[in-house]
Amino acid sequence: MSAAERARLRADVAVAGRILAPAWPLETFIAVNPLDGLEDRPFEQAVALAGGAFGARGTLDEGAFRRAHAEGRVTDADLLAALERRHPEALAEPGAAEILLADLLHAPPAPSPVRSLLTRAEREAPGFAAAIDAQAGKWCAAFVEAGEAAWAMPGRDAGFYAAWRALAPRDPSLPRPARRALAALPDAPEDAILAALETLAIPAGERRAYLQAHLVALPGWASHVRWRGERDGDVDLVDYLALRLAYEAALLDPTAPAPEARPAAAAPTPAERAARVAAVLGAEPAAVAPVLERLPADCRPFVWLDAYEEHYRGPLLEALAQPPAEPPSAARPAAQVVCCIDARSEGLRRHLEAKGDYETLGFAGFFAVAIRFQDLAGGAPSALCPVLLSPGHAVRERPAPGAEALAERRLAGLQALSGAEDGFHAAKDGAVAPFALAESAGWAAGPLAAAKTLLPGASGRLRERLRRHAVPDAPTVLGVQEAFSFDERALFAEVALTMMGLTGGFGRLVVLCGHGSRTENNPYAAALDCGACGGNRGGPNARTAAAILNGADVRAHLATRGIEIGEDTWFAAAEHDTASDRVTLLDRHLVPATHVEDLDRLAEDLDAAGARLSAERAASLPGAPRAASARAAARHVRARGTDWAQVFPEWGLAGNAAFVVGPRSLTRGIDLGRRAFLHSYDPAADRDGGALETILTAPLVVAQWINCQYYFSTVEPAVFGAGTKTIHNVIGGVGVLAGHDGDLQLGLPWQSVADGERLVHEPMRLLAIVQAPLARIDAIVARNTVLQHLFGNGWVALAAREQPGDPWQRHTANGWRSEIREEVGAR
Amino acid sequence: MSRDGLTKMTKIEVVVGGADVPAVREVFTSAGATGFTGVSGVSGLGHHGYHQGRLLFNEQDALALLITVVPEERAGALLAGLRPLLDASPGVMFVSDTYVSRPDYFQ
Repeated sequence: MSAAERARLRADVAVAGRILAPAWPLETFIAVNPLDGLEDRPFEQAVALAGGAFGARGTLDEGAFRRAHAEGRVTDADLLAALERRHPEALAEPGAAEILLADLLHAPPAPSPVRSLLTRAEREAPGFAAAIDAQAGKWCAAFVEAGEAAWAMPGRDAGFYAAWRALAPRDPSLPRPARRALAALPDAPEDAILAALETLAIPAGERRAYLQAHLVALPGWASHVRWRGERDGDVDLVDYLALRLAYEAALLDPTAPAPEARPAAAAPTPAERAARVAAVLGAEPAAVAPVLERLPADCRPFVWLDAYEEHYRGPLLEALAQPPAEPPSAARPAAQVVCCIDARSEGLRRHLEAKGDYETLGFAGFFAVAIRFQDLAGGAPSALCPVLLSPGHAVRERPAPGAEALAERRLAGLQALSGAEDGFHAAKDGAVAPFALAESAGWAAGPLAAAKTLLPGASGRLRERLRRHAVPDAPTVLGVQEAFSFDERALFAEVALTMMGLTGGFGRLVVLCGHGSRTENNPYAAALDCGACGGNRGGPNARTAAAILNGADVRAHLATRGIEIGEDTWFAAAEHDTASDRVTLLDRHLVPATHVEDLDRLAEDLDAAGARLSAERAASLPGAPRAASARAAARHVRARGTDWAQVFPEWGLAGNAAFVVGPRSLTRGIDLGRRAFLHSYDPAADRDGGALETILTAPLVVAQWINCQYYFSTVEPAVFGAGTKTIHNVIGGVGVLAGHDGDLQLGLPWQSVADGERLVHEPMRLLAIVQAPLARIDAIVARNTVLQHLFGNGWVALAAREQPGDPWQRHTANGWRSEIREEVGAR
Repeated sequence: MSRDGLTKMTKIEVVVGGADVPAVREVFTSAGATGFTGVSGVSGLGHHGYHQGRLLFNEQDALALLITVVPEERAGALLAGLRPLLDASPGVMFVSDTYVSRPDYFQ
């Protein structure tokens, strides 16, 4: 094959691969929109395309919406308002509202989407298609597991295609002719694909769609390979497709006649639909049919979705339109606590504010410092920043001056624990060693396992005490000066403070509070950590940012920029454990004596606020005691993270539905139910709009990924969700399989979004609420394609107002419009 | 062909969204380019209006400029790979003659 043909094929594969969102490894779980590659299309079109490609639904099914209507979660008024917004022409006829309501509530539901983008093997020889999937899953698993498995895939260093090509012809499960064909494969994977496409007689014009059909057959593995190809490069989609197509060409008889296509489940006919609606209304089908013709049946789910979303959004905007319950205090706050924008922080902020004169703010939990962090133990550095960024600064943790001996003890303890753990697992995984292991350690392992299962709280506390004894805490500092130049520190400090609108009125104590989640035996632990820190705990970022903001040189620079931070202001770092709602104040050894009392008082109030939040969360956690006192409820919640059998350690970001950009006075005093991302913003402090542009193009984008991950994991758990945790097997640290083989599971497990049949996450697209000049928002959207896609194509809704007291305006294709619900009510 | 002792080659410049950079990079390397230069966060006015340049916390959605130089005989393969990519996504490509002083770097 010529170099031009290979290059053209690579381009075709790259374009075909856009139907997949890259899937990050589980260890740094990054929420993504599984339809990320389709965001340049309207939401409805993208969903329709995904239906044919993946056989996936893009909304709840109509049965679920109808149940929500029966429960009052969607009302007739919501549905009529949605019809008015989306299909005003359908409502033009007298009586149309009643007919369309009956249609939405009673018409035969549309069948579930079925994959139409199929490979030849899928159409002609399903047995071979299953074999190709099994082979692809097997070899991908062997390759990614090689780093951790006791027996590495031979030849792995040569790359995926070369290693597989050397081994595949020896597979005795394949027929001899297929093995011969595999043995004759060319050196270059591009050539293998081109040859297979020719054998399979795929016309040039259909090539890209055909490659896509192979990619969506096992979307989990293909999505991970896409991620790996763009990062590590040890396997890419060309390698992966070469494997799949080579098997298909080797197994399939291209000359065999194609069997009859199986008919897809038929959609109800217009006559059936009209008959059902007419029967409900006691009318003649001929009388309702003309009205129904104006609302295509496949548009109904989007009407439902619109109504379902508006039932939440309308009251939320009404609540946010009210003046604050109490005017902001002019007194200096006891402390300012800056939490991550994560929806879970809203609960902590609300309960802390109730405890005293605290001011809280929201900012992306990486606190504007994109770092590669290496802790005291010196393991592999972690990228602590949103995945939209590359971490540009290597920050290392080292012993605090005078604490070197303690740090040595800590390190020795860590190494001993890690060695014991490695030894235990190596013995467990060996061929003979498990017998010896059972003899020597079984007496202890059995009772320990029983204690962890039956008394998770007590066992967790005991293990924590033992761990602290073996691995004592040691005061450390971060190498911030080495990692950042003065200019960089000055820039990050100014950007962070300007973006959150904290440019004056500093308290004596300003606490930057990152977050993470401590859970046990949870492959999805990273999904509960901070998304703004790349699926890691955010403590190191908070410590880094606090160190920068305490620097005298940085403060002197900030003063020249109009940001005066008094000498008595101290920036402290903290980390919120969202599983237990405990907040740990970090680097206490650095706190000046003058501020210790302030910090102690805050610690006490954070502890009380955390306990109240735990008790609040207990109400929705499966298995939590319902009638327990607040203290007992909090104790129960705090024990869940240490329970290795607990599949619901916390609800994470389930329920997320809004992203609010504005001062806290906009939301203070309102219980947002831990459903809103809150980013502080003061338009007056943002003279050129740069801060708002950064908020909308970064934190909002990450929040939308999270929102879409939850959304699609809920509406289509079989394709975009990871299924039930109870049968998960972790593979190579990259993902989980449901059982022992098959596709890598995408998205969130069912236990992250639902409890049995009950949905805990209400799947709604994100509503961004911004308090800023509308002209500024327009200008920002006009120069950022990503925002045009999100707002223009219906992936995120946008409401805004210039200042308190103004009505909320909705962003529509025809410009800003004031509250639509009122217009509908006036009809 | 040389100009003042320099060697003639083909320069290819591509402006694409950050998300498409890996695909362009892959086509460059698979078609035999020995290196490239990348400039992230480029701004400008184009067919779809003004494009914002550097975004403070988002490298993925900013535009990037990728430049490579290849011997003329390799340019055909590279263009064959880039054209379908640009047909399917926003972006522009400029192809021009250039002269280099160290041709062995680009072989």
